Amino acid sequence: MRWGMVIDLVKCTRCHACVAACRVEHFLPLHVTWVKLIALETETSGIAEISTYPVRCNQCQDAPCVEVCPTEASHQRDDGIVMIDHDKCIGCRYCVIACPYQNRTFLSKDKNPGYFPGYEKTRFEKKGEELYFHQVGTTQKCNFCAERIDAGQEKGLIPGVDWDATPACVNTCQARALTFGDLDDPESAVSRLIRERGGIQLQEEYETDPSVFYIDGKIGGKASNIAPESETTGYHIRHLSTVEENAKKLLSGEKAK
Amino acid sequence: MQTQTVRQWMVTHEWMVKPMQQTEWIQRRGILVWLAEVFSVLGTGLYLVALFTNNWWGALMGWLIIVLLKVPFHLAYLGKPLRFWRTMPPFSGAWRTSWMSRGVFFTVLFSGVGFIQLITTYLTTSPDILTGQALSTMVALDLVVKIIAGILVILTGVYCGLMMSYCKSVPFWNTGILPVVILIAGIADGLALIMAVGLFTGGINFHAIESASRVTLIVNALLIAAYLVKVRYQSLTAELSVKELIVGRVAAVFWVGVVGLGIVVPLIISFLSLYAGKLSITLMVIAVICHTAGAFALKFGILKVGIHKPIVPLNSIHLA
Repeated sequence: MRWGMVIDLVKCTRCHACVAACRVEHFLPLHVTWVKLIALETETSGIAEISTYPVRCNQCQDAPCVEVCPTEASHQRDDGIVMIDHDKCIGCRYCVIACPYQNRTFLSKDKNPGYFPGYEKTRFEKKGEELYFHQVGTTQKCNFCAERIDAGQEKGLIPGVDWDATPACVNTCQARALTFGDLDDPESAVSRLIRERGGIQLQEEYETDPSVFYIDGKIGGKASNIAPESETTGYHIRHLSTVEENAKKLLSGEKAK
Repeated sequence: MQTQTVRQWMVTHEWMVKPMQQTEWIQRRGILVWLAEVFSVLGTGLYLVALFTNNWWGALMGWLIIVLLKVPFHLAYLGKPLRFWRTMPPFSGAWRTSWMSRGVFFTVLFSGVGFIQLITTYLTTSPDILTGQALSTMVALDLVVKIIAGILVILTGVYCGLMMSYCKSVPFWNTGILPVVILIAGIADGLALIMAVGLFTGGINFHAIESASRVTLIVNALLIAAYLVKVRYQSLTAELSVKELIVGRVAAVFWVGVVGLGIVVPLIISFLSLYAGKLSITLMVIAVICHTAGAFALKFGILKVGIHKPIVPLNSIHLA
């Protein structure tokens, strides 16, 4: 059994509901986000376009974060989900750097100032600390709502099919762009989508075998929103690299400011 | 108002689709990692050179740099420093895959074995403490301990480089040549520091150290150049890192710190001494200070220009 997710980039409407659902489900601290929508700004024929890609921890089967973790705090379950044992994590941040997808966050004190810094914590925050405690000084990431999956399976429910056993982001997606299920089951919805629609993984060159797959590649179904076909990784970097505004100049050989 | 909202939304997520500097190990508390790694290089280099030159004071200083500077800085960086013991066997089996786990283990072992080596060497070199059979036994023991300590200090010095070179996510570091660069730079630093120790304690053949230093500095310069050329052609992200280092925001640190202070000035002083036939203490002190500043600059530069490849390269998305 290997849990996986398929993200339909055509259906995604950039509504950020998955981001919000994850935040509520896990009582995430103010400056921590496990699920993100990343925005890609491109320009085609003088028209600026924004493409968005929902990203979260890819639960890689050959996860670099698990390999580099010096305490085995990052570990992989039999069902493929990469978990963090926060009681073992020493906060070295090696996993944060080693993750090719940058899907991990170190929870420092300043990332958890409370939702209304300077004021008393809300009832929601207080309840969150009881139900889903986040240890400052350790690393955070998406866990495919493992607690929902486990609780649901104990009741005999099927993750990806039954609401109570399915990740919160999948449940909340109003466009049904997210599909969850068992990648090892060839008849599961995720396996069929990957097979029939040509699911691809991010950064395949890292050979980490992510469990999150993407299908299609245009956003919103409008021609003006389709990312340029001729883009390559290299061009992508050239076009977008703006590490502190200087990268583009550096790559073109100009002297940086 | 609407423009502001859109802009804020963009900024939130834009960073993940362009080459992005690693910040965890160089900014804010990450400065502690930089310092720890510099002291790691300086301490291991000095200790190793002291072993080869049979300089007890040098070995002591190298050991102290590791135990009193490198280790505390590394510990201070951790989010949960009191849990550091979890990295070591038998509390963790992570040493099988994690260079950080191995590194902590090497460092702890070296701290113990290095301390024993300091005692055995002291006993064998101090007159009237041991005599006869006891002295012979201690000399044999000292040799064994020195060999073990030497291996451990090399591992302690090289693990930071191996740890970084393991990260595929940072193409600039992801090369086998990086640990070698760091190790050789450490030995060059050790040769400089042993001269500083020798100025106070004596017992150093300055001409021999100067000769070794000249060779190491040249090898060090060639290795750094080879490293930059190699990663330059490795990927566009690595190329960007190289450009950031040599013509970008970190260029001043690289040219002034690494090349100027770390290599050129010590090399000029070394050749001046060679042709003058005698060593000037003032110039030697300048060389040592410049060399040490170069060590700080080299590590800073390498950590600072570690850049992550963008998460979504467009050629991997199938377009409908």
